[in-house]
Amino acid sequence: MNILIVEDNKELAVEVYDFLCNVGYVCKIAHNCSDALEEVGSNDYDAMLLDLGLPDGDGFEVLKTVRKTKSKIAVIVLTARGELDDRINGLHLGADDYLTKPFALTELSARLFAVIRRIHGFTLNNLSIHGFLLQLQDYKVSYDDMPINLTKKEFDIFQYLVLNKNRVITRLQLTEHIWGDILEVNSDSNFIDVHVRNLRKKLDKHTAIDWFETVRNVGYRINE
Amino acid sequence: MLPILVENVVYRHINNGLLEKKHKFIDHLDRNEINDFIENSDDSTETYSQFTTLHSEFLVLSRSPVKSHQKKAVFTNEYRIIEGEENEYRILQYHFTYDNQGYQLEIGSSLDEVKDLTFIIKFFIITVFVVILFITFLADTFYIEYLLKPFYKIIDTKIRRVNEPEAFDHTPIKARSRDFRELDFVLNQMMDRIAELFKKEKQFISNVSHELLTPIALLKSKFENLLQNDSLDDNTFDKIAGSLRTLDMLKKIINNLLLISRIENNQYEANEDINFHEIINDLREDLEDRIEDREIQFLNKMQHDFSFRGNKTLIHILIYNLVTNALKYNKPHGTIEVADGFLENNYFISITDSGIGMNASQIENIFNRFARVSSDQEGQGLGLAIADSIASFHHIEIKVTSQINEGTTFMLLFPEAVKHN
Repeated sequence: MNILIVEDNKELAVEVYDFLCNVGYVCKIAHNCSDALEEVGSNDYDAMLLDLGLPDGDGFEVLKTVRKTKSKIAVIVLTARGELDDRINGLHLGADDYLTKPFALTELSARLFAVIRRIHGFTLNNLSIHGFLLQLQDYKVSYDDMPINLTKKEFDIFQYLVLNKNRVITRLQLTEHIWGDILEVNSDSNFIDVHVRNLRKKLDKHTAIDWFETVRNVGYRINE
Repeated sequence: MLPILVENVVYRHINNGLLEKKHKFIDHLDRNEINDFIENSDDSTETYSQFTTLHSEFLVLSRSPVKSHQKKAVFTNEYRIIEGEENEYRILQYHFTYDNQGYQLEIGSSLDEVKDLTFIIKFFIITVFVVILFITFLADTFYIEYLLKPFYKIIDTKIRRVNEPEAFDHTPIKARSRDFRELDFVLNQMMDRIAELFKKEKQFISNVSHELLTPIALLKSKFENLLQNDSLDDNTFDKIAGSLRTLDMLKKIINNLLLISRIENNQYEANEDINFHEIINDLREDLEDRIEDREIQFLNKMQHDFSFRGNKTLIHILIYNLVTNALKYNKPHGTIEVADGFLENNYFISITDSGIGMNASQIENIFNRFARVSSDQEGQGLGLAIADSIASFHHIEIKVTSQINEGTTFMLLFPEAVKHN
């Protein structure tokens, strides 16, 4: 999978780049509109992460140009909330998804996964981990063809951890993934623990899950 | 003032007539004539030697001793009886001497006619005055209205109907008067300046969003990547996790402040149909965990279908903030009741908790930014400030009633008139 990262903040671009490369994507960085357009024109990308505030123009213009020529490229717009609201309707015309800054890299990865799946007509493989199979289409999990009854939240947590396997996912990241980018300052939510506990119980019935770690009271990690 | 003036003019006119008659009489005076007039020399007074048949005028000549201090001609108003008929007369008394004999001449002119005349004149003048006054009034009203038409148009189109600079109509108002054109021009200029400021503020908000949130995004990414390092000791790991939490708080404060700014800068549209049942149900689902965690009973007593146009996201935030507030300050095993109804034709939604309650001075401050009822509660105290901004953006009134240790009710009073099925 080829990803083009269009972001003018070089440090942030590198962080995203490192992270996505680690996940297994092939990435390239463009720092401005003209570079981005040139890259999209000369290479085939599966997805583009697009920052709107670029030094030589509006990322939105890049999106418009790209949409005219390439239909199969997934575009996720990365933007600060304030810029977003003015254009949210316009964005929906061209972007496949958007993330408001600051976003969690793991959230970005999950969204990227979903968007690319959608673009490719959901033909991508389901996720599997230690014998558990996650059927992304219909939110079902099974072990050895035995269905496991998970709530929507439990499924989302499981999928998120599997997608970001081998990484520590903080409660904060999980909370934001499940409940969205809520404005209320409610710093450390313990409610996520209840769902994780229930999820674990359900998985534990089928096999030992020592690969499903609690990391130092900060978050969780699923090891492959 | 006017009747006195008329009277004066009339009397002067009569006086002049009387004087003229006196002159004529004195000029042609001779002994015979005096004798003719004074037929009965013994009876010197109350004899009207000559009068017109209609008793409108008379002339009396009588002997009288010469008194030196007496003025020569005196005008008086007196009643006289002539042939049994009493009339008021304007009388000229004139003393003169002829052949060393003193005489008194009285010439009278009836005031009856004059009185009638003055009355007619007065009546006429007053009528004319009233008519003129009426005409002036009408003319003033219509003409001034016509003259001030551009003025009212300016007030209406350029001031009253303008809620934000973008809605301002720059077309010049047609006005004959230079003053109004000037006023219009100056108003346009002023609105341009305001629009410029609005634009700058919008730009500023957008810049703040981008310039502040991008570095936070960078820090967040870095910390998250750092957390993946297995060689970290416990202490460092916790510190990084703590920094992530602080960053998250910072992000939320910035987003909250930006939200308030944008609401107050009118950057939201309010043209969506809002279904309150849907919003309350969504909220209940979102907050399920927290409600269960505190074993709070959530009672949804919404009964009406009230249609309201506004910004869905904002209304959602408004009610969300009030409900989470009710959760935060509730007692364990308490209740939160959401109900609706009509208060004097105004639809309302009320959110009542069974929490710790507030006193009057606390209620006064709850909508201030960064205000919190008690310092040990989580949160930044922006929730209600945001609720307040959203409410005023939609012209919704928030009423708060509270009883210490019994609970608090937030009532949202909606502006529109009755509209329910």
